[in-house]
Amino acid sequence: MGTPIKDVVISDSAPKSLLLDKHADYIAAYGSKKDDYEYIMTEFLRMSGMYWGLTAMDLMSQLERMNKDEVIEFIQQCQHECGGFGASIGHDPHLLYTLSAVQILTLYDSQQSVNIDKIVEYITSLQQDDGSFYGDKWGEVDTRFSFCAVACLALINQLDTINVDKAVQFVLSCMNFDGGFGCRPGSESHSGQIYCCVGMLAIVGRLHLINTDMLGWWLCERQLPSGGLNGRPEKLPDVCYSWWVLSSLKIIGKLHWINKDKLVKFILACQDDETGGFADRPGDMVDPFHTLFGLAGLSLLGDESIKQVNPVFCMPEEVIRRAGIKMDLL
Amino acid sequence: MHGRVKVKTTAEQQEAKRKEREKKLKIYTAATEKIFEKRKNKEYDEEALKITGEILAVNSDFSTFWNYRKEIFLNMTENKPENEMIEIFKGELQFLESCLRTNPKSYGVWNHRCFIMETMPKPDWKKELELCNLFLEYDERNFHCWDYRRFVVKKANISPEEELEFTTNKICNNFSNFSSWHYRSKLLPLIYPDENSTIGVEENILIKEYETVQNAFFTDPDDQSAWFYHRWLLGRGKIKTGVNCMLIDRTYQMLMINTTQPVMISPSTCEIDVLLNGERVEGTWRTHKQQTDVYSSIWIFKSTEDESWIPMHEDAEVAMAVVGEDWGSSDSVQINSTQTVAWNLTHEEQGLRFRDELSAATTDTLQRELDSIQELYELEPENKWVLLTIVSLMKALNPKQYANDIEIFLSKLITIDSSRINYYWDLRSKCLIENYLEELDFSTRVISLQNQNISCLVHPELFSMVVKIDLSNNKLDSVKGFSCFQCAVDIHVDGNQIKDLEELSFLHGLKLLSIKDNNISSLESLQPLGKTSILKLYLFGNPVVENIDELEVKKIIPSLHNFDGHMM
Repeated sequence: MGTPIKDVVISDSAPKSLLLDKHADYIAAYGSKKDDYEYIMTEFLRMSGMYWGLTAMDLMSQLERMNKDEVIEFIQQCQHECGGFGASIGHDPHLLYTLSAVQILTLYDSQQSVNIDKIVEYITSLQQDDGSFYGDKWGEVDTRFSFCAVACLALINQLDTINVDKAVQFVLSCMNFDGGFGCRPGSESHSGQIYCCVGMLAIVGRLHLINTDMLGWWLCERQLPSGGLNGRPEKLPDVCYSWWVLSSLKIIGKLHWINKDKLVKFILACQDDETGGFADRPGDMVDPFHTLFGLAGLSLLGDESIKQVNPVFCMPEEVIRRAGIKMDLL
Repeated sequence: MHGRVKVKTTAEQQEAKRKEREKKLKIYTAATEKIFEKRKNKEYDEEALKITGEILAVNSDFSTFWNYRKEIFLNMTENKPENEMIEIFKGELQFLESCLRTNPKSYGVWNHRCFIMETMPKPDWKKELELCNLFLEYDERNFHCWDYRRFVVKKANISPEEELEFTTNKICNNFSNFSSWHYRSKLLPLIYPDENSTIGVEENILIKEYETVQNAFFTDPDDQSAWFYHRWLLGRGKIKTGVNCMLIDRTYQMLMINTTQPVMISPSTCEIDVLLNGERVEGTWRTHKQQTDVYSSIWIFKSTEDESWIPMHEDAEVAMAVVGEDWGSSDSVQINSTQTVAWNLTHEEQGLRFRDELSAATTDTLQRELDSIQELYELEPENKWVLLTIVSLMKALNPKQYANDIEIFLSKLITIDSSRINYYWDLRSKCLIENYLEELDFSTRVISLQNQNISCLVHPELFSMVVKIDLSNNKLDSVKGFSCFQCAVDIHVDGNQIKDLEELSFLHGLKLLSIKDNNISSLESLQPLGKTSILKLYLFGNPVVENIDELEVKKIIPSLHNFDGHMM
């Protein structure tokens, strides 16, 4: 009973060089086709979609091609009375989109264009007695929301408004036998969730609580023979998981535990050389989400044609510096 | 968008698809507009359920519409009789099940199901457990379903014992089931808790688990789930926070402590009282990197009252007492009139530093494990999991005795698992350094680890009291961790691949740095040395030396007297 390794094969015809101009054109065009089927069907996550696209453009030094005023106006219209942001106008507020909104505002150095005090009020109202965070008033708890809350507050320099020690305790209660983290206490480790928890601990200066030997080993074992990384054992490789695993490794100082050249080759192979953009795997349909994480991954791997990315916030390092955020990575 | 293969289509097909999508969009947009309109008008009726249902069936992550549905259910519950509501709720559960069949990994659907089950009268939790069983049959790795199962188990008061049995059955069906192994790791400490054991589970149970997991990897040695689980079983217990070393230095008028775990010393979290000959001294604590309000294993105390608070030429006693924390009670150091430095190495009484003391029963089990996995190695000489597990077992049993074997197995891993070469190099370095430190007489204050192919420095905080450090001819590519060398006077790191000197700026007592034959490529890289009072620098054999101007070097490092053997 042998276990076959799930993986992909990269064909010889797959792209081998970075097609920056195509990606910039792809993202720029994506936002302008507002009556497109895909565009309308993804309205429920518009704010995050904009964060992915705009950050990708900024990493490619082409943010000026996007319409800043239109973006800011849209964000303003998405803020609710409670302080939180919805994914789109008229959509309910949620921490996920509140973080995306604050990230975009920080990219544009325009935090003052919305009500910051209200954002703080919203986030603090969602922290629970056990330190966890609700995603919105309906009460779903998830370590993703712990990251959203802490990242958001760090970006607006208001971390001291929540109970950080309790927030840390909750995240630690989601730590597992493999050194990773899951959604809630008891949940299985998953690299997206690990990124959130490791990032959260990095922001609040508690990285020493991580078992880096154990977690680093589990993370570097995500690399498959194709070079791509999967999100959990026995799963297929994916560009977005490549980012989450890679950034987590970077934060805990173990980036060198994977084979960088092979991963670069995998990420490049996920580009679409006709339309621009990155897909989850070679030969699949592209989207802005994987395009951002493809570019961010290449940046962490040292591609100098892309701006240096911050592994915790997935935003350009220069933006994080401008926002005055200091973090000690391991 | 995940797993959607791009298909080549003709212009004709594309046009047909465009038309079809246009039609769909019209319906979709009309429906969403209507929903927003109805919600604005606070209409909580069957029609609203119907239209939101149509949208959510195709777009299950549209959270705003799930929220509207929640509002509808809350409103209806207030206005309809219970019998009628039970039927409506049942209908909702059916609807959700159909959504799960098309999209079993939707956060929105699972979350809404939790809400419905918690809101409806007389929820049938047993039936929910059956639903979990069903969806775990379709996909035994669906973590949404596992999480929902844990939610149901809590509500239905199902015992951890029953759940453990469930995982046993799942694993017997298919060893390659990471989710089930994971669940076991959560259940065992609940059922058989033992705070004193390494992983919080009673020893006899732990020993049984070794057997279970061994069955798994003997059946399928390529399946990583069991190997990860095995590594957990071998894990170390919690390390108690305490003081490793306490040192006072008259020259720098400092008290330095090195703790077994990073701690934060600050007025708001944990305070440490410092007493000189029984009298309290006011002062500040900073880390070796001059930081405050962070967690660190090295802290340095200086008096704010008196710059020379440790008196010269007389006997003295410096004592410290931790206030308001459960770690390290109190320690003290005596310094006599002739000493410039004195220390107290509390860790020397604490036994093994890098591994746990094993009981006879566990030692016996691990030894038998090692023997049988070595048999497996005979059959599977190229299996990396087998090799690495042998290393882990040897490390847990007796790293010193097995040092040579560990070296051989790690070298083999480096050749067969090309993606993770640096992981194995670092693990090898860890073994070497730990073995070295375990035997080191710290009071010599000398560390000498040359020609060992060390790729990274582990436990640098234990080097904090060392004066002379020689790490020449290794594979280090940075000085990461070197800021811990707070007492260092001489550092030799010739023949490595070091590119930057960043952390050296914190070494106030550094007098000599020999960094010949490394990768220092620019004058700017020398800047951190400008913050030290270094006298001698050996830089020969670095790219930067090719056309270096000694005056420029002197400008960057004003304290320098001797550069590459020349007086300056």
